[in-house]
Amino acid sequence: MDGLVSHNAAKPKASGAADHAAADAASDTSGWRASLDVGFVAGNERTQLSGRRHSGPLRVQRPFYPEGFPCHAYVLHPPGGIVGGDQLAISVDVEAGAHALVTTPAANKFYRSAGPWAVQRQHLRVADRATLEWLPQEQIAFQAAQADTLTSVDLAPQARFLGWELTCLGRPAAGEGFERGVMRNRLELRRGGRPLLLERNRIDGGSPVLDQPWGLGGYPAMATLVAVGASVGERDALREWLAGSDSPCAVTLLDDVLVLRWLGSGAQEGLGVLERAWSLLRPRLLGREPSPPRIWRT
Amino acid sequence: MRLWQLISPTLPVGAYAYSAGLEYAVACGWVGDEMGLERWTAGQIEHSLAALDVPILARLYRGWEAGDSDAVLAWTRKLLASREAAELRAEDRHMARAMARVLAELGEAEARCWDRPEDTCWAALFSLAAVRWGVSLEEAAAGYLWAWLENQVAAGVKLIPLGQTAGQRVLHRVAGAIPEAVAKGLALPDEAIGASAPGVALASAAHETQYTRLFRS
Repeated sequence: MDGLVSHNAAKPKASGAADHAAADAASDTSGWRASLDVGFVAGNERTQLSGRRHSGPLRVQRPFYPEGFPCHAYVLHPPGGIVGGDQLAISVDVEAGAHALVTTPAANKFYRSAGPWAVQRQHLRVADRATLEWLPQEQIAFQAAQADTLTSVDLAPQARFLGWELTCLGRPAAGEGFERGVMRNRLELRRGGRPLLLERNRIDGGSPVLDQPWGLGGYPAMATLVAVGASVGERDALREWLAGSDSPCAVTLLDDVLVLRWLGSGAQEGLGVLERAWSLLRPRLLGREPSPPRIWRT
Repeated sequence: MRLWQLISPTLPVGAYAYSAGLEYAVACGWVGDEMGLERWTAGQIEHSLAALDVPILARLYRGWEAGDSDAVLAWTRKLLASREAAELRAEDRHMARAMARVLAELGEAEARCWDRPEDTCWAALFSLAAVRWGVSLEEAAAGYLWAWLENQVAAGVKLIPLGQTAGQRVLHRVAGAIPEAVAKGLALPDEAIGASAPGVALASAAHETQYTRLFRS
């Protein structure tokens, strides 16, 4: 595989130097380092990919233009799984006026670790009048994984963003729970440097957070959808659409940031809820009809 | 003595009006008895308050001590951004504004400018009082958790409902976990601060549309 990396070529980590997990992972030399920097710029007729750089096994595929101006891009991680010691860094810049929809063709799997952390850092920057739709498929922490993820979104004052994160713990369908391992999962949203939403989930295998009602209440999957620039109209429409849902889910509006949270049985159900919420919000917030990436249907 | 005033339920900041999601948790059957209330409160103290409120309270406290209002503002914003639902943020801001007015009345003039709509939080005003009244950080942090617990238990007793004795048993057992939560929270480095409680976030958001409500959160 072409992705086996020279560690020297690997990019320094995006997060702060004092990050525990990063420090642990950095001291481990067995893992892969991979990074991907991708930019999107507004052309006359469509948004173009620019400045694609990668090291290690991370790629962005040739873009699609199923709806004119917006660029649909798939981020690929060909190994498909992340093991202890691996470090992945993804950086996305959407320049002024551009519109990018980014998704992934498959789940992101964090495998069992003998000790070292698997670290993933995603830094998304969206400029004024630019739009980013960040719609990855689920991330799965296998039994005894040691995973630390951060998705950090930096918005300019006039940026538009609609994104989600879906996390599954263990593989219930295979009879595998999450009695051992750690999943640390952060989602940070800032605008003009000011924090809008700081979500930090720390799921220790076998701990009360998994089954207590203040935590995951026994559900093995959780999702958060975030959309900026929203108002009570979108909030109420989404609530109406969710009424009668079987799984716990609720919508709140934090100033102009709409947040949908969901707990449920697994990725398929979660992606269904997220995609339908996105379909409802997209015309209202981004002025475009839903154009689901083809890869979701394969 | 000052700590007792700071954590007294008679402090007119309106804490009794907030259940922080517990009202929904009771209504939908997540919390239904004494043991459920104990788990709901003890779990949050250990998982969330020890990892979010306590370490930020400490930074706010030191910010006031050093006269560093930029630090107080920055940590206030982080704490508010970590509140996961609209009513949790509103609760925090309302209590902060009420406390700012109380402190101003008691002669702490600098509190007055924190009586403002957005960038103000309960822990900031609580820690200001602690610093100016000579309460140590450890005592202030323990008092902050105690006040939270006492308020949750009072709400639980009313909502579930439970007898007063059952409420006292919960208080007695869960309070035993406070010293450890304080120690853990005060030892956290900046980059480890924060802890979401997904069920509380959901409960609070769902409470916004709950049909009958006694509480404002």
